[in-house]
Amino acid sequence: MPNISSLYTSLSALQTQRRVMDVTAHNVANEATPGYHRQRVELQSLGARPIAGVMAGAQNRPYGVTSTGVTRSVDVLLEARMVREEGNRSAANKTSSTMATIEGIFPEPSDVGLSSQLADFWGAWSDVATNPESLSARTALLQKTTTLTENLHRASNDLTAVRNNAIERTGSLAIEVNDIAGRVADLNKMIVANPGDDNDLIDSRDMLVTSLSKLTGAVAQPSPGGMVDVYVNGRSIVSGTIAHEITGTGGSLRFTADNLALNPTSGEAGALAATITDIVPRYTAALDDVASTIVTQVNALHTTGYDQSSVTGRNFFDPANTTAASISLSADVLGQPANIAAGAPAPGPPGALDGEQARLMAALAESSTGPDSKYHALISGLAVETQATSRRADIQNQVADAAQSEADSIGAVSLDEEMANLTSAQRAFEAASRVLTAVDDMLAFLIERTGVVGR
Amino acid sequence: MRVTNSMTTRSTLRDLNQSLSRLQTTQTKLTTGKEMPTASSNPTKAGEALRLRQQLNRADQRSRALDDAQGWLETADTALTSGLETLARAKEITVRAANTGSTNDPVARAAMGAEIRSMRAELLAIANTKYGSRSLFGGTVPGAAYDAAGTYLGNSASVVRDVAPNTSLTVNVSGPQAFGTSGGAVGDMFQVLDRLATAIEAGDSTAIAAEHANLDGAVSTMSAATVVIGSRGAAIEQMKARGQDDLLALKSRLNDVEGVDVVEGLITAKTQENAYNAALQVAAKIIPQSLLDYLR
Repeated sequence: MPNISSLYTSLSALQTQRRVMDVTAHNVANEATPGYHRQRVELQSLGARPIAGVMAGAQNRPYGVTSTGVTRSVDVLLEARMVREEGNRSAANKTSSTMATIEGIFPEPSDVGLSSQLADFWGAWSDVATNPESLSARTALLQKTTTLTENLHRASNDLTAVRNNAIERTGSLAIEVNDIAGRVADLNKMIVANPGDDNDLIDSRDMLVTSLSKLTGAVAQPSPGGMVDVYVNGRSIVSGTIAHEITGTGGSLRFTADNLALNPTSGEAGALAATITDIVPRYTAALDDVASTIVTQVNALHTTGYDQSSVTGRNFFDPANTTAASISLSADVLGQPANIAAGAPAPGPPGALDGEQARLMAALAESSTGPDSKYHALISGLAVETQATSRRADIQNQVADAAQSEADSIGAVSLDEEMANLTSAQRAFEAASRVLTAVDDMLAFLIERTGVVGR
Repeated sequence: MRVTNSMTTRSTLRDLNQSLSRLQTTQTKLTTGKEMPTASSNPTKAGEALRLRQQLNRADQRSRALDDAQGWLETADTALTSGLETLARAKEITVRAANTGSTNDPVARAAMGAEIRSMRAELLAIANTKYGSRSLFGGTVPGAAYDAAGTYLGNSASVVRDVAPNTSLTVNVSGPQAFGTSGGAVGDMFQVLDRLATAIEAGDSTAIAAEHANLDGAVSTMSAATVVIGSRGAAIEQMKARGQDDLLALKSRLNDVEGVDVVEGLITAKTQENAYNAALQVAAKIIPQSLLDYLR
């Protein structure tokens, strides 16, 4: 009975095309959903499906169409690359912004940076050299010195603040990672429990893995049953349905269970670790070197010089405080401008109006091993590194965008395509219903006209 | 490659963002007038700018030291010139006293003696000339260079100023250099004038003649000091001119390095603005397009 069979053939078409339209509607609805991958109804001709049984045979071969399931369009390799590059992007951008912050601590070249305060300091010595008798020149020198030391303190504190912020952020990042890793483990469980209907679950889980990668540079590896294991630097933070808790106290990420360090090299955590253990300590050391050079070189001249009462051997800076955070005037000269040793040994005590030692002091500004040249080296190094990290971030952004685009070219929803699919499904639906009508007409004709010959 | 709407949107947004950020960089340069808002925008130039700023500061310090040295030398020059005039007048009186001889009346001799003594006081005042609060001829000792008795209180230390890179200049002459060394047979010019006044008052013509010769020695001592001061003054003039040239050169180089080329900046800004506008228009045309517009 081909006609009756055609009814069912059309019915299968109507049902399947409606499924196609449902999935298309789902795709269109999720066009802008982050992490969503377009889904496809896999169609198969029923005739291709060998059916064993009493109805089997050439006459009763089944016609029609059916869906074998709904699949996600995804290229696993491209997705993995995208996830990795997102981790690198997040690290590069974080490092670049940290460097920009550090550069902001040293506003050079300008009239407000440390270099201009150093220049004021040497200029004040030069003024004392010209007018050693002038109390105001000496007082001005002490004031310029205080400004210089205060700004060294400020720069040092600002650097420490950058490091402390990174340590604090590592702590909150660990909490975020634990939350996300827990949700990944939960989703793994649900995916195993719902085979065949897990497309949207997988999308949500993969989104979370991308978030983990942005935070810690984590990578995912497939495990049986559609689950994924997540690794940071080769150490598992999610294995199947279990998430391993981590803590971030003291600026390093460690497993709560065994206190083993994760040492992330990518993601925001990688950038934070570099800030805490490398970048800030390096610039603090360089700034400390500038401060200790000031203390050492100024004191070396000052202790051999003579003040207005022919006293020698006094320190200008406190020799115990040689870091940028602690540099301070010695108790001998603090508030006592007359104790500034402007006079050079003649040999022996010079006249009270001798300014030779102060003149030599002012010349330290141009010394190739002096504080200024060390500070210039610090600034040059900082500028080059900031520029390099910013360029690296630019490049990494492009690389990550490209990886995202490539993954999107497989997985993202194209409205044009969905519209074409929708139209095609609609037309197929219309055609199938036309076939149904035609068969119905034929049946009606048979029913109404059969047995009425000659009536 | 399959192109999707999200890809178009994202790349359009990124391009717009880049275009706007370039425009913003140019605008920051123009509004701050600085080629390098941060050192990292051009590390090489930033390093050079730091070096130039340091040189400029040193040059500025030197120009202040030069001004001070010039003032110092000019004051010394004026003092010594009027000292020489005083000595010349003393010589006139000595000549007059020698000519009139011991026969002249004691009143006139006493008057001439008193005049010589006042000239000695005049010279002593000159020897105590101050520049600011410092005695010009007192070395590095505070207070007066000579006391009322004509004893030198100062020392022979040099007062040195940095006047050019790696060049320093002594700006002072000590009291003994300008007014003669005390002690010995002749002594300094205060002792000479002292003895001269006594000789005139006493009408001792031999002594007057002897002190006349000593007075000539004093004049040549002071002249020598004046020549030293004068030649240093001339050197300072030259260094000042050169220092100002250097200062100008440094400033213009710093401006070359740090300053923004306004014309170029404006043209760049305009070009980038056009590019941004074009990008906006293209985005507005591309983004809304899809098959949806043509299906009915």
